[in-house]
Amino acid sequence: MSEPTPIIYIVDDDPAVRDAVGFLVSSVGYPFEACASGAELLQRLDNARPACIVLDVRLPGVSGLEIQRELQNRNSIAGVIFITGHGDVPKAVRAMRHGAIDFLEKPFDDQVLLDRVSDALQASKTALAKQGRREKLERKLGALTEREREVLSLVIAGKTSKAIAADLDISSKTVENHRHNLMAKAGVNSVAQLISWATDISDV
Amino acid sequence: MPAYCHALMGLIARTLAALLASLCFLGAARAETPRDVHIGVLAFRGAEEAERTWQSTFDHLGRALPQYRFHLVSGTAAFLTAAVAAHRLDFLITNPGHYLELKVDYSASALATEQDLEGPTPSEAVGAAVFVLDDHPEIQSLADLRNLRVAAVAPDAFGYRAALREIMERGVDPERDTKQIFVGFPVDEVMRAVRDGRADAGIIRSCALEKLLAEGAIQKDEFRVIGRRPSGALNCQVSTRLYPGWPFVKVAQAPAPLAREIAQALFGMQPGQDEKAWTQPDAYGSVQDLYRTLKVGPYAPFTRLGLADFVVEHRYIAALIGLGVIWWLTHVVRVSYLVRKRTHELQIAHEAARQRGEQMEHTVRLSLMGEMASSLAHEINQPLAAILTYARGCERRIEGGADPASLRDAVQRIAVQAERAGDIVRRMKDFVRKNPAPQVPIDPAAALHDAMALFEPTATAGGVIVESEIPDTLPAVRADRLQLEEVVINLLQNALEATSAQDDRQIILRVRGDRDRLHISVADNGPGLAAEARERLFDPFYTTKKNGLGLGLSLSRTIVEAHGGRLVVETDSAGMTSFRFYLPLIEEPARV
Repeated sequence: MSEPTPIIYIVDDDPAVRDAVGFLVSSVGYPFEACASGAELLQRLDNARPACIVLDVRLPGVSGLEIQRELQNRNSIAGVIFITGHGDVPKAVRAMRHGAIDFLEKPFDDQVLLDRVSDALQASKTALAKQGRREKLERKLGALTEREREVLSLVIAGKTSKAIAADLDISSKTVENHRHNLMAKAGVNSVAQLISWATDISDV
Repeated sequence: MPAYCHALMGLIARTLAALLASLCFLGAARAETPRDVHIGVLAFRGAEEAERTWQSTFDHLGRALPQYRFHLVSGTAAFLTAAVAAHRLDFLITNPGHYLELKVDYSASALATEQDLEGPTPSEAVGAAVFVLDDHPEIQSLADLRNLRVAAVAPDAFGYRAALREIMERGVDPERDTKQIFVGFPVDEVMRAVRDGRADAGIIRSCALEKLLAEGAIQKDEFRVIGRRPSGALNCQVSTRLYPGWPFVKVAQAPAPLAREIAQALFGMQPGQDEKAWTQPDAYGSVQDLYRTLKVGPYAPFTRLGLADFVVEHRYIAALIGLGVIWWLTHVVRVSYLVRKRTHELQIAHEAARQRGEQMEHTVRLSLMGEMASSLAHEINQPLAAILTYARGCERRIEGGADPASLRDAVQRIAVQAERAGDIVRRMKDFVRKNPAPQVPIDPAAALHDAMALFEPTATAGGVIVESEIPDTLPAVRADRLQLEEVVINLLQNALEATSAQDDRQIILRVRGDRDRLHISVADNGPGLAAEARERLFDPFYTTKKNGLGLGLSLSRTIVEAHGGRLVVETDSAGMTSFRFYLPLIEEPARV
């Protein structure tokens, strides 16, 4: 499976600015999409691609900061770079606290913007990869039965089959069967691998 | 001076003199009363000398005609003439020249001529002496008077006139060739002027020098008479022909019987030592000749009793009249000066008020600009950011070996953005311009678009989108475009502030032209105006804002009215507060 191509979303109500930023990012080969408003962005955003959003703070209707919050609600993996005409410190602080890559004042240095775009895409790719892994884990986890999950949590807790059988008031043979099944579903061969897998789940 | 002026002055002088003479005689018995007879006496050495000279005559008349009371009235020739004119005199004793003038002007007639029983014949009794200091040997004849200073009592003194004739016959025109000095009465003054060196020569009545010598007022060889002529029986040195002695003159009003009685009394008078006697009147033909030659007195082109004489004779009254004239002239000058000054002051005040108005307007505009400045800075920043970003993009593409033709589009966009920034700067610069522009036909749509372009960033920053309905074509109005923008922006700014506490802020700019007016309104959905605010809204310095100047609306109204329109506030049917104004259209509906 080939990696999805990254994309830059440029959101600014000023057509000249979004066009110019588009021109810049495309000169280093990034594909981009220009959006005149937050609503347009939310409509077009493809969460399956590594993305960077160059977002104007001041937008008519829904503001840049409100869009950032909405993106978080939607678990977006896109990296957000704010651009603004005003050096508004409280807004910048708020934006950074909510995970923005940077807060750039117009007119901005092209190299800085491109570096941040690159950073944002990298972060987005990482987030996307993590998300992919977690989805896979979650899919596997979802395949376990209720009893198998109970057995799994006890295995991770370091209990022996005998102790588990006692805890669950079932036979050791049955515990062994559950263990075998869940290791097959998780795609692991040993208890050590199973524990590592389970730790991943709690991580992502 | 034109002839009629001279004549007019003569008339004025006479009238004034008559008035003056009337005043002098007020209280005295009227001339018609037979018991009182007023006799004027010419005084050339003061009133006392005159009385002394003629006392014997008066005494004799009093004795001979006890039924009359004789009053002696002494004075100068001009004064006596005025008294005659005022009918205050019945008779006069005066010099021949003065008599001649009275004869012509007032039908006076001589009753008798003075006679010195031991002296000259009555027809050769009076002349004049021209004298110099004895130690001036270079002055020998009358011709030597050229370019010298010559003193005399007065221009109308008889002796002076007699001498004038002789001097002129020597080819010297005293008026032109000598410097004449008139020292006034008494004749002693002439002597003093020559003695003190104020004059080189003096003209004096015959026998006056001898009299001064006799009185001891001068030394024997102190003075020398020049241009001497034979003096006949007159025992004095003279430089002139001799003329008849003084006449006793009857004024026309004196009753003939009285004149006859007086004449008889005079002829019967037996004088004592040094006293005057009277004889048959001379014809005074030689005096007439003299006056004719000199073209003076009755032979003057115009009356001799001119303003100048009057001024000399009555200098106090003249001074008073002069002061009056000066006061009047000063008053006229002062009034016209004041009128000019006040007019000027008014213009200055007007100009100052106009400048204050302009200053105020400018202040309001600067204040509006201040409120919009940060938004406008952002507005300029946008194209600058775009330009920079395009340029960097181009740079990268060129470095990457891109075809320059592929950059054309970007370069064009750079140019467009630079123009956009330039437009904003121009609008800002225009808006804070200080010099007012004349009202000229303008396209209101362009002005309104500019106003919106200036204001929109501020509205956007405040989270409001101004709904504006500006038709593409509007009829032209005559206006200062900047002032029109100012009014609109001011109303928009007010609307923005009025809605600041509103959740759903709404500002609508409406523009509409009808047959003869352009209507512009700015409506907002703010809380509206309190009654007091509505009443005082347009007062200068009234404000409901925390940082307002209180000038915006008052100025807006002034501007609108200066354009022939009206600015009003009302609550519209939708409950919005609406500031509405109109401007009259240019009469010929023209499109700009």
